[in-house]
Amino acid sequence: MQKTLKKYFAIFALPTLIAFALAFLIPFLMGIYLSFTEFTTVVDAKWVGLRNYIEVFTQNQDFLNALWFTVRFTVVSIVTINVLSFALAMLLTKGIRGTNLYRTVFFMPNLIGGIVLGYIWQLIINGVLYSFGVTITAKPEYGFWGLVILMNWQLIGYMMIIYIAGILNIPPDMIEAAGIDGASSFQILRKITIPLVMPSVTICTFLTLTNSFKLFDQNLALTAGAPSKQTAMLALDIYNTFYGRAGSEGVGQAKAVLFFIMVAAIALTQLYLTRSKEVEN
Amino acid sequence: MKKINKVLALTLSMLIAATTMTACTSGKGGASGSEPGSEPGSSASEESTPTGKGGEIYFLNFKPEIAEVYDAIAKDYEAETGVKLNVVTAASGTYEQTLKSEIAKKDAPVLFQINGPKGYAVWKDYCKDLKDTELYQHLTDKSMAIQSGGGVYGIPYVVEGYGIIYNDAIMQKYFALDGAKAKSVDEINNFTKLKEVVEDMTARKAELGIEGVFASTSLTPGEDWRWQTHLANLPMHYEWKNGNVDLTSDATKEITFEYADNFKNIFDLYINNSTVAPGLLGSKSVDDSMAEFALGKAAMVQNGNWAWSQISGVQGNTVKEEDIKFMPIYIGMEGEENQGLCIGTENFFAINAKADPAQQKLAEDYLYWLYSSDKGKDYVTNQLGFIAPFDTFTDDEKPADPLAREVLDWMGKDGINTVTWDFLVFPNQTFKDEFGAALLEYAQGTKTFDEVKQIVVESWKTESAGNNA
Amino acid sequence: MNDRKKSGGLLLSVLLGLLALLFLLPILVIFMNSFKGRFFIADAPFALPSAETFAGVQNYINGVQKTGFISAFGYSVYITVGSVAVIVLFTAMTAWFITRVKNKFTSLMYYLFVFSMIVPFQMVMFTMSKMANVLSLDNPTGLIIIYLGFGAGLSVFMYCGFVKSIPLEIEEAATIDGCGPVTLFFKVVFPILQPTAITVAILNAMWIWNDYLLPDLVIGRQYKTLPIAVQYLKGGYGSKDMGAMMAMLVLTILPIIVFYLFCQKYIIRGVVAGAVKG
Repeated sequence: MQKTLKKYFAIFALPTLIAFALAFLIPFLMGIYLSFTEFTTVVDAKWVGLRNYIEVFTQNQDFLNALWFTVRFTVVSIVTINVLSFALAMLLTKGIRGTNLYRTVFFMPNLIGGIVLGYIWQLIINGVLYSFGVTITAKPEYGFWGLVILMNWQLIGYMMIIYIAGILNIPPDMIEAAGIDGASSFQILRKITIPLVMPSVTICTFLTLTNSFKLFDQNLALTAGAPSKQTAMLALDIYNTFYGRAGSEGVGQAKAVLFFIMVAAIALTQLYLTRSKEVEN
Repeated sequence: MKKINKVLALTLSMLIAATTMTACTSGKGGASGSEPGSEPGSSASEESTPTGKGGEIYFLNFKPEIAEVYDAIAKDYEAETGVKLNVVTAASGTYEQTLKSEIAKKDAPVLFQINGPKGYAVWKDYCKDLKDTELYQHLTDKSMAIQSGGGVYGIPYVVEGYGIIYNDAIMQKYFALDGAKAKSVDEINNFTKLKEVVEDMTARKAELGIEGVFASTSLTPGEDWRWQTHLANLPMHYEWKNGNVDLTSDATKEITFEYADNFKNIFDLYINNSTVAPGLLGSKSVDDSMAEFALGKAAMVQNGNWAWSQISGVQGNTVKEEDIKFMPIYIGMEGEENQGLCIGTENFFAINAKADPAQQKLAEDYLYWLYSSDKGKDYVTNQLGFIAPFDTFTDDEKPADPLAREVLDWMGKDGINTVTWDFLVFPNQTFKDEFGAALLEYAQGTKTFDEVKQIVVESWKTESAGNNA
Repeated sequence: MNDRKKSGGLLLSVLLGLLALLFLLPILVIFMNSFKGRFFIADAPFALPSAETFAGVQNYINGVQKTGFISAFGYSVYITVGSVAVIVLFTAMTAWFITRVKNKFTSLMYYLFVFSMIVPFQMVMFTMSKMANVLSLDNPTGLIIIYLGFGAGLSVFMYCGFVKSIPLEIEEAATIDGCGPVTLFFKVVFPILQPTAITVAILNAMWIWNDYLLPDLVIGRQYKTLPIAVQYLKGGYGSKDMGAMMAMLVLTILPIIVFYLFCQKYIIRGVVAGAVKG
């Protein structure tokens, strides 16, 4: 059958492959190439070697600031989102009446797009800050925590669902047995529940990690980097470098390549961790 | 079985063909007649020949507040000539950015605008020589056009003025109060007096029934052009004027921001005597300010005559037309008693030299139609509210709105020095954005004015040196 | 003991109820503000509409007219439905092909698809939108092709995982019955793939419906999808109209919520499956 199927390459694989080449492969390779050139449109690229990469760090501090902001944001998001969603998952697996309804409500924000989320929270946060005579642009910390709250609101429900699936996988008799042996509920949590939901923890950690690290829409809509680019994350900084003014497209592309390398490194770590876990089990 | 295979294969190939076809034909913008990659002019197909029916002009509009009027014009123009005017409007503060990405496209804008010599320097490869166009022949003051080496590359299409708009009803109410610092607006002809009056008005705002003298100083990114561009024009105007700087030379590549303190004077006055606390300005928009003025919550607001539609369009508007007046922006310069409004333009039409010549011609025809036909002129004066700088307009074909009238009045006053729009040589949008962001931080108290000054000077230098020309 | 458990349960219910309310609050605030006059929103978002501030449906009228909501909604539906349909079908075919035909080329393809999943959009945003323009793909239909290409990675990967688990015997039996590959795929394989197809459809629909930057860069000046229309409200008309903004936010969220309430089961299942595999 393999032989016959092979002849049908044009029908089965070609459409996807063409689209893939146009939308991803060629742009990706061109992107790498362009990061070593100076260009405004693709046709006028001039080779400049590593200059763009040097300018990423020397032209101004924007990229490093954005990187630092992104890292801080990501770490805080991972911790808060996972702790809260795990707690919610624990509550919702206790068989309380209306569990399904709660699950529905908590998950809902996840479906709303980033731009819309950004404007919703801009209104709310400004509304609260108004009573103190300031707005979200007053201090970078406001924008930072605003983004954290937004991200929590969006992702808690999602992560909660994954944790619920993990918790429901734990054989109930294990917990029952521990209870009979006199283990306190905290001990059960620490010695049984948490170790057994570790796979979910890994998944959720990496989901929050990549989602937070690559955040763009929410950042753009909530603060757009205000005040003075101090709340701009990496993706937004790259966008601004590209489209902010003529002449720095090469630097923007170089930033994008660096960004790609960071994201790829995260993904590979994840792959490595999940692989080694699987072997362990 | 074979049959099904064939049918499927056929459907699939048709699907692919269909998507590629629609991809080609439903392509947007002007080049409905030209194939991808064709050289400009090589395929002036029938539908885009200027004499025949049809064709399309892609116009990238700079003024979002009048985008709706342009849509109406487009409808009428198509009905009359069969030529489709495709109006795309860039969001406030993003024109340079939008133009940059659009002009590099295959179906690039045919008609766009440059904001002066700086804009011309950036886009000169795309600016067609308009010396022989009909519209240019009718330009009243030829020196206003953007010229270079004997060619004309940008035609100004509107004269605008800005200053401090005030509500005369509130002012009269104040002047009638006991111990008012002035008895008429004529007495307010310098910064010291303005400050005195404004601060006294703030102290008595309850009596006057206002929430603040000045409408909110909008500092949301994209809503801050009234300060980082228009207000900043004054100190820069004086810096160059007093230093005898030739604005066309490279001498403008660096500035000292000599009159930063004067800028601070007026800016402080704005934010400290306003309807809202300075800390809240980061969420205010131009629209908010204009509404506060229209609803009588504020007595003054800095803006230009283009803001008329924003004032008149507010529901529950309490300001009477005859009470809306202009005064110059005083910043404490010597001899400013004779200073007038800031009048000029940053709106120059340019035609894309790299577009299909047939389309270029269509764009020229459209421009001439807009500024010479009765219908076009009616749109220009009454809907767009433009003071048009062309001799095709008679004296009574001027906008009737109070702000435009005021601008015309101020232009005709004897012994008054109109302030020119020198912000045309500000480096670029990035500079303005950084200036605006610094002002926001200053208003919120997270930056000192010295830091703002430093940012202005440095950003100016970096952005002027940038390879953006 | 029993009593304590009961009161504990009650406490929990109250806590969860409050939390759920907190989760819904932002949406309720937006909904409430969408009926207030545009100048009464930003300053006091938590104040209920009063006689002075109540604006009726004016914001909705302004919003719909100004932003061209109807056309934006139309484009969003067209692009999302079109892309999802194309992705669900074509990547299933591709995944089946590269799993069943084993050679260097197909495994290279597989790795390229997987690789594309870890590349952030910013890496290709400039070159891709350039490419789309040069090839005249910068229109809603062309965007569907772009989405097929850019979404292929995850979808192929998910299908592949599932195809591997289909016993070859089923397909072989059908081949002996005289089925050609195309019939085999549509009559036998694709129906088996249905659960994954639903997951793929949901993940892609959520992504494409809410996607902002890609459509903005590729077709944003001429065709506005919902997220673009919302973003354009800020500054696109000279200034930000908060009232229209609120109304647009409500109108954008509403279809998602309705859709979610009807297909909740599939959505949650799909998202979990996607998370575990991705």
